[in-house]
Amino acid sequence: MHSKRKVIDGTLKGMTIGAALTTASALFIVFYFVFTTGFSLLSFDLLVTDYNSVQYNAVLETPNQTMEFEKPEVIDSPFSYKYGIALEDSRNKDGESIISIAYVDDNSPLKTLLDKESGEPIEATKNNVITRISYEASPTSLTREGAASMAERLDSDTTIREIIFIEPGGGIRGSIIATLYLIGLTLVMALPLGIFSAIYLNEFAKDTRLTRTIRSFIDTLTGIPSIVYGLMAVSVFIPITARMNVADGLSIYAGAMTMAVILLPILIRTTEESLAAVPNEYREASLALGANDVQTTFKVVLPNALAGLLTATFLSIGRIIGESAALIFVMGTAVKDSVDPANGATTLAVHIWTLMSTEPANVELASTIAVIILTIVLILNTTVKLLAKKFDKIGNR
Amino acid sequence: MGRHSGLSLNKPSNTDTNHQRFQKLINTVVKRLVFLSALLSASFIIIVVVFVALAGIEPFISDNEGLGSVSFFGFITRTIWLDGPTFSSNMYGAGYLIINTLYIAFLTLALSLPLGVLTALFIAKIASRKTATVLRSIVELLAAIPSIVYGLVGAGLILPIIYNVALSFGIQTNGGNSTLAAVIVLTFMSIPTLTTVSEVAIRNVNPSLEEASLALGASKTQTHFSVLLPAAKSGIFSAAILAIGRALGEATAISLVAGNALSGPTFSLFNRTATLTTAMLQGMKETTGLDYDIRFSLGIVLIVVILITNFALNTLKKKVGNVHAQ
Amino acid sequence: MNPTFKVENLEVAYGETIALKDINLELYPKSITALIGPSGCGKSTFLRTLNRMNDLIPVCRISGRVQYHDQDIYHKQTDVINLRKSVGMVFQKPNPFPMSIFDNVAYGPKRQGIKDKDTLNSIVDKALKQAALFEEVSDRLDASARSLSGGQQQRLCIARALAMEPEVILMDEPTSALDPIATQKIETLLQELKKDYTIIIVTHSMHQAARISDYTAFFYMGELIETSDTDSLFQLPKKKQTEDYITGRFG
Repeated sequence: MHSKRKVIDGTLKGMTIGAALTTASALFIVFYFVFTTGFSLLSFDLLVTDYNSVQYNAVLETPNQTMEFEKPEVIDSPFSYKYGIALEDSRNKDGESIISIAYVDDNSPLKTLLDKESGEPIEATKNNVITRISYEASPTSLTREGAASMAERLDSDTTIREIIFIEPGGGIRGSIIATLYLIGLTLVMALPLGIFSAIYLNEFAKDTRLTRTIRSFIDTLTGIPSIVYGLMAVSVFIPITARMNVADGLSIYAGAMTMAVILLPILIRTTEESLAAVPNEYREASLALGANDVQTTFKVVLPNALAGLLTATFLSIGRIIGESAALIFVMGTAVKDSVDPANGATTLAVHIWTLMSTEPANVELASTIAVIILTIVLILNTTVKLLAKKFDKIGNR
Repeated sequence: MGRHSGLSLNKPSNTDTNHQRFQKLINTVVKRLVFLSALLSASFIIIVVVFVALAGIEPFISDNEGLGSVSFFGFITRTIWLDGPTFSSNMYGAGYLIINTLYIAFLTLALSLPLGVLTALFIAKIASRKTATVLRSIVELLAAIPSIVYGLVGAGLILPIIYNVALSFGIQTNGGNSTLAAVIVLTFMSIPTLTTVSEVAIRNVNPSLEEASLALGASKTQTHFSVLLPAAKSGIFSAAILAIGRALGEATAISLVAGNALSGPTFSLFNRTATLTTAMLQGMKETTGLDYDIRFSLGIVLIVVILITNFALNTLKKKVGNVHAQ
Repeated sequence: MNPTFKVENLEVAYGETIALKDINLELYPKSITALIGPSGCGKSTFLRTLNRMNDLIPVCRISGRVQYHDQDIYHKQTDVINLRKSVGMVFQKPNPFPMSIFDNVAYGPKRQGIKDKDTLNSIVDKALKQAALFEEVSDRLDASARSLSGGQQQRLCIARALAMEPEVILMDEPTSALDPIATQKIETLLQELKKDYTIIIVTHSMHQAARISDYTAFFYMGELIETSDTDSLFQLPKKKQTEDYITGRFG
């Protein structure tokens, strides 16, 4: 009997430990996958490059100029001494062969190109992909001939008629900017609304049926899936922005309104908690000095609840960065390179969705974005924790 | 006498200076303002429900630009998403989606509840202080990971695993897209909430009950499973209700691994599936027209499903909780 | 007469605080021994060393010897679970499990592996009868234990302990949370039980000790000041502190 019980006990305890291990490993699996898959593409360039690739048909500003460039020591790829650029064979993310620019001298004529049609100045930079160079009196250089051949022909004695090159894109600058816009606009709308509502509920409201109803209505908001908020946004906020002539259709403005509503319950709750944590003695002291309730609230209570408000803000930022379903409906899934709040755009999270829902899915770039998101979430979480500790210490003094 | 003669508190009176009058005005205005803020915040729930409902009812009552209205009864019972060509048919069916959604949510609960509760038990009663703190932080982090990232890991990591494992057993899957994939992803998304709420419930159990059990010669493990967890039943149930609500509403994570089945319902773990939420997200080709509007109808169905499930589970909780509790 | 418990040089500390110092005491079978003293004197701590409930407190350190019959219960190889089967405990505030009356009493035997319904039934009936509760609850054994009054709940806890058929029952101020009538019922019950069980009871009421116990031990500030049979201790205390406490000068 005794040993049978020990076996059962052992099994149960083993299952308990196993469950905890499974949970813990989930975190490591997520981070491991995301970081290993996404690490290779992670670079500063990624953050500042456009996503969509752009093709340029360019001509030289001064076609007949002759210059001589020195090849820098560090470059081994085929180099054109006449134009000061180095080319290399490589592959794009679809596996096709391409010739990309490995180096451009600061004085290279390729830095002062003109768009063939509009005449606008453009420049060829590192990592751009040259697809063809056509000449007055030589055969056109094509990708399949390779970098060495292209570089050689550049140095041959003929004038260039046209250079066609591609800025490969694949960067997330647009999504980062859209995310920042969204965060800013949302906080501008949500913080005042949430804080004021919390102030009413905690400082001024009496325990009436109305107050209880207001509270329960606000609480119910948490039970609604975010995708339904997206639907609501399409039928409420998009028409509103159109009526206000602020935007037509998908827009970041509408997105910010949507996120503000989504954040409302947690903002109000956190703010209420931090207001409630301010000791009543402070309020009483202020009122006893002849200040009225509003002055007491804004000049005494609120400043003492600052840490809590900061926490609420950080939590909100984290939530905004992580939201996907609602924004897909209200801001769209088209990745933009020039972001206008009156138009749709993708945030980092929605960008992941777009990457993963096309065929073939771009898991690498999606993971890279996920690395950025997770890092930010990690930092925000740790900051909130540290704030909470500091907050406690102040409260206990 | 003095400035503060005390009688005129917040209404302007003749003895006030301009400054005092101004202060009182501000006081009134601000109080109105914060009250209105609270009212506005409270009104959003109504706005959400009303407008989604209005838009969602449209397909059932309007002519849908010549396509004819969608039969409501048909919508909630049919088992094919669209019986007919897109843009020219009104035979939408969400019946199978309702079944799939509930099926997946409850399967998820069956997996995540034991995992979450046992993890909570470990943290609350078995782990050392340090380990418990570390685990709690891990759980908090898991809760903070956005759902799209879970979807990404599901699509990038879990799908190939399922595909290969199924293949080795001779089962064909659609690249791994399957009910199983959706359940696994949702399970890991549900565990943090379950663990956190259950841990609180476990901690709130009167320690005297544990002492009584140990004093009777029961072992620690017996105490945990025969006294502690049953005593925490009500809190654990609440955690489960919370988790199911989230699982029913999850969209982007499952969309990336479910496979978008156009008919159903799917009970097999290895076949493609679709839920109310994945259907709302799939193939958005236009932003007008019946194909777009019908998503609002799905929204209504989703809200109703969540409400009914919540209600049913809460009623069940009261029944179960009443026995032997207070 | 062979003592059931023999305690030698017992010292108990919680972290830095010393709760019990140099306790030497013998406890005798089939009798009631009362442990008295002012709050914080260590009597509850002492009680809990007898069934190793102090193990639950991580910072608790114990030195000295506690012998149950011929076994040092703090020896590394002691089976704590077996010890607690023989040495049961009833707590200050009644703590029935959130289960039925039947399941509460049957809890201990079930954990030991007894599954047969008839056996469990007879164990429960016997325990409830011994705890003088059977008549009041026999028709509603499936009702929730929480539906009983405070006094009934405490008798239920006693029945629960009795179901294990222990030799010793430790009681930590079992009536301090009850009204006078319930208290009296339990005191009467204890007088019956001592015929078959060894009862050690911590009580903050010396009147209770004087009423029901055979032996009394007086604790003060972590030390055992005096112990003897109850009549002698109360009528002819040997130490001044004992006399002061008994006559109400402090405590």
